Amino acid sequence: MREVGIVGVGHSKFGKMSGGTFSDLLSMAAVQALDDAGVKTGMGHGIDQVFVATMGAGILNKQSGIASALVDYLNLRPAMAETIENGPASGASAIKLGYMAIASGMCDCVLVVGGEMMRVVSGWEGTDFVATMLHPEAEYNYGLTLPAFAGLFTKLCMEKYGITEKDLSIVAVKNHENAVHNPVAHINVVPNLYCITEDEDAHIMNPYVAEPLRMYHCCPVSDGSAAVLLCAMDKADRFIKKPIKIAGIGSATDTHAVAEREVPTDLLAVRLAAQMAYKMAGLTAQDIDVAELHDAFQILEIVESEEVGFFKRGEGHIAARNGETKIGGIIPINTSGGLKAKGHPLGATGVSQVVEIVKQLRGEATGRQVEGAKAGLCVNFGGFGNNVVATILTKEEA
Amino acid sequence: MEEKMYAYKCTACGQLHHPKHYVCKKCGNRKFEEVVLDGDVTLVTYTKVYNLPEGYMKPYMGFGIVKFTNGLVVTGQLEVENPEIGMKLMSTVGVVKEGIGKDYFGFIFKAI
Repeated sequence: MREVGIVGVGHSKFGKMSGGTFSDLLSMAAVQALDDAGVKTGMGHGIDQVFVATMGAGILNKQSGIASALVDYLNLRPAMAETIENGPASGASAIKLGYMAIASGMCDCVLVVGGEMMRVVSGWEGTDFVATMLHPEAEYNYGLTLPAFAGLFTKLCMEKYGITEKDLSIVAVKNHENAVHNPVAHINVVPNLYCITEDEDAHIMNPYVAEPLRMYHCCPVSDGSAAVLLCAMDKADRFIKKPIKIAGIGSATDTHAVAEREVPTDLLAVRLAAQMAYKMAGLTAQDIDVAELHDAFQILEIVESEEVGFFKRGEGHIAARNGETKIGGIIPINTSGGLKAKGHPLGATGVSQVVEIVKQLRGEATGRQVEGAKAGLCVNFGGFGNNVVATILTKEEA
Repeated sequence: MEEKMYAYKCTACGQLHHPKHYVCKKCGNRKFEEVVLDGDVTLVTYTKVYNLPEGYMKPYMGFGIVKFTNGLVVTGQLEVENPEIGMKLMSTVGVVKEGIGKDYFGFIFKAI
């Protein structure tokens, strides 16, 4: 298999897009990635394949076949083009497919763009759309949603491991603090921990969404896009920047109906995907310097940090309390602000996580840089953990 | 007609499933028989949700994951005042979603 690297990254500002089409949103990140790599636009671009990751373009934006549209909009024809849908893990799945296309020898250069324009519908329509990834008869038809499952999961984790609402808020505040230094983050203000946990009005400022989860324990609904340009490492000389290597990729699935899982507080697919990625990279959890974990709900950052091997089972919240996941801590998590504060445009998220790790490994994460970072891990989580992709990036020594 | 909920029992190995699977998760067999799934349950976990999806005109709803005495674990709506993990409940069947021209039936867990 050929080795694959990332030679260009692009990222739109996450938040609410005002004006423009979904193709415009995708194009913003795509051309940034091309510019970053020093690839000319128009004829002679040398891109063999474009993958577009989105979960809802067909439903929310009434636009299907978006990859074909984007290739034409960017004048990348006749490059091959496919749209990838794997729920909120679409982004990392598209990168995985890009990796496979190059590693197999079929392509030399692949552009991966992830995006979602979610704020074109009402909150309840958006909640309903995201819930369509649940089991249709055993879950969706009951009115269950992703926040509902996160609430059920959090309650059980609290009972089993002694996690508190304040622990979830500590993780949230840490991620908001990181996002202040990320110019593309959706939210650039930091909530006060006392005000959202202990103040007499805390229940008003931080109301329940799905007990015991409160507003500050859940990610916002965002529009946004992110892009990476992948290239065979042996063909990377034509680009401006030194490639960041994709050292390992793993993905795994779990039961569709959450109630069928043997241990309901486990995120088995996270563990298996991470183990596969570590094995491929020849690394362990101790070799990782920085991580982007899928914190659509703050409980997920805590449990994922255990499943990927950073902390023992039931100790992730204690590590967060002790500041071990802050920048400067033992293992900084979600330096970008995470889904919690950077935002979560579903199809963009997995690509956005990789963009952050590339910036960290290049030393370009101004204001939030993890000094000397050489290896980073991303976990992109689909459904309520029924399809997870883990990606490990490394900085190659000169 | 009284609505019922079912488990799907593998005709080869007896493994119970809910929801329905096309292939048995234990032995790979593809034939199942329906077994009525009702009775007492134990509450595994619960939540109360305040931002409901389209079609639910209520301020909030309760949901729970429960374990039947036969070992099956399922999710359903929860209509209990002060739920606690480990409490015994009874499983009932009712309308869990009102559709256009069709109502959807499912588990509603209530206090004994």
